[in-house]
Amino acid sequence: MIATSSQNLTKASRPGTSLGASTTTIGRGESLLALAAVTPAAAFVLLLLIVPIIAAFGISFFKTDGVTAQFVGLQNYVRIFTDPLVHAVLLVNLEFLIAVPLVLGSATLCGVLLYERVLGWRMFRVIFFIPSVLSTAVIGLMFKSTFSYDGPVNALITAAGGHPISFFSAPATGIAIIILALVWSGFGYGTLIILAGLSSIEREIFEAAEIDGAGWWQRLWWITLPQITGVLVFVSVINVIYTFTSLFGFVFVMTAGGPGYSTTTLDYLIYQKAFSSADMGSGSALAIIVFLLIGLLTLLQVKLVRPQEV
Amino acid sequence: MAKASPRWQRLPPFLVLAAVAATTIYPLAFVAMTSFRPKPDYLRNPYGIPSSLSFDNYVKLIVNYDVLRAGTNSLIVISVALIVTLIFATLAAYAIVKLNLPFKSVFAGGFVSVMLVPGQVLIIPVYLLLSMLRLVDSLPGLMAVYIATNIPFDVFFMITVLRGVPDALIEAAKIDGASPLRILVSIVVPVARTGIVTLGILTFLAMWNELIFGLILLPTEAHNVLTSKMASIGGRFVSNQPILMSGLMITSLPPVLVLTFLSRYLIEGITSGMGK
Repeated sequence: MIATSSQNLTKASRPGTSLGASTTTIGRGESLLALAAVTPAAAFVLLLLIVPIIAAFGISFFKTDGVTAQFVGLQNYVRIFTDPLVHAVLLVNLEFLIAVPLVLGSATLCGVLLYERVLGWRMFRVIFFIPSVLSTAVIGLMFKSTFSYDGPVNALITAAGGHPISFFSAPATGIAIIILALVWSGFGYGTLIILAGLSSIEREIFEAAEIDGAGWWQRLWWITLPQITGVLVFVSVINVIYTFTSLFGFVFVMTAGGPGYSTTTLDYLIYQKAFSSADMGSGSALAIIVFLLIGLLTLLQVKLVRPQEV
Repeated sequence: MAKASPRWQRLPPFLVLAAVAATTIYPLAFVAMTSFRPKPDYLRNPYGIPSSLSFDNYVKLIVNYDVLRAGTNSLIVISVALIVTLIFATLAAYAIVKLNLPFKSVFAGGFVSVMLVPGQVLIIPVYLLLSMLRLVDSLPGLMAVYIATNIPFDVFFMITVLRGVPDALIEAAKIDGASPLRILVSIVVPVARTGIVTLGILTFLAMWNELIFGLILLPTEAHNVLTSKMASIGGRFVSNQPILMSGLMITSLPPVLVLTFLSRYLIEGITSGMGK
């Protein structure tokens, strides 16, 4: 580094004489270099993200198993909108939205309490975050075995004199356990974000409120929470998006969508259509619909959350 | 720091947080302990104190299910994909933030707008594309997909990081005659290293925990990556929990190690990089 700068010292002193001409050549060289620097990343994104998205759109107008293809126009979309199975699966997805207020509630509780800087708050912060670094497959298998017929929960129930419950054979308990897994794995991330949001509130506001005689609960309800509305909306929308995009791992390892289709989510249905039924056209059409839905949610999030609030 | 309240007022929040922490820690501790117990001992009393501990479950799992091979595949795919992704993302962000890149806003907007494309839109066309290129069931195919799917967020993150590198430093080096590439390597990267480490951790976790591309792009036993393999064989062990738990331990070890030793970078990155 030092060697280079002294080497180039003589060169560097030169451009000063004919500044105008040399900055344009330097500028052009730099532009080319900049293009070269951005090209590898752009090429990967173009080839493996943008082209596939366009291709998915194209495939959605065909009936295809990946080997042969037949153009069917809008038929895949018409089928999806009229298919009772898709309606049922969409309803299942909506049931998973119960997880959103649960995540938001527990994350807000933990965030607000951590903000009090109680003993060991840094350690708590890390502990709450552990599930967020684990894969949904690992968490799903953990919950599956915990609630399995001969698992530890049923061992407790039996010990207490009850009869073991087959949790995953009934839709309601199956969904409840997946929701539990979702909340367990997601509240730590929400907590961190809410804590970050709280830390950006000016402390004078709290001090003023305290001088005015506001109690802890009053401050929480009238000052703290209103100050972080943007962050709370962000956490909610992110979690709504999760329930449409990130349930695959849980469903795959815990229930495989069953019993019947009672725990099948949209993302799992796309996978099933494409790779179990070799119905790639209809799978793509469904993927495009989910994509638009998520795009809409993301837009909503951008509109609702002003950047400086996050 | 919130204002210091009297010690007794801090007890209730501490107790609530400790209770929540217990619900996080206990299941994990249960998994860890069970993974070292022989099956009969576990069945006798799942919640009891184990009478003996051993690595038998790990050995059985590794010997019978080729878990080491899957782990090696994961490490090969991820180490290549991670390094390539970080280099390409840093180069792209450098061009966008610090160099005179033509169509700057097109590139920046392009990367950001594909950031939230959900994986399920991609699985069908990417699978078809890679099978045309004969890259299904080969490690490079999955590497390429991991690079492509992680680049948008990584470029976005690096743009934020590089905006924090003072232009004055770069101008000074320019006056000394350093080339843009030299400036990147000797000035920008060292100054931005905390951000790069954070991004490396986030990208590693994303790749290690990825499931669906691993499942569909590396379907044969010899090419499985670890997370996908555990997801597909895990269901077989529901009646043999100790073995399953040892599999979960192996699969969770890298992320947990990362969190244990690098949590400072990770938590900082999430709370600051949040400024989307």
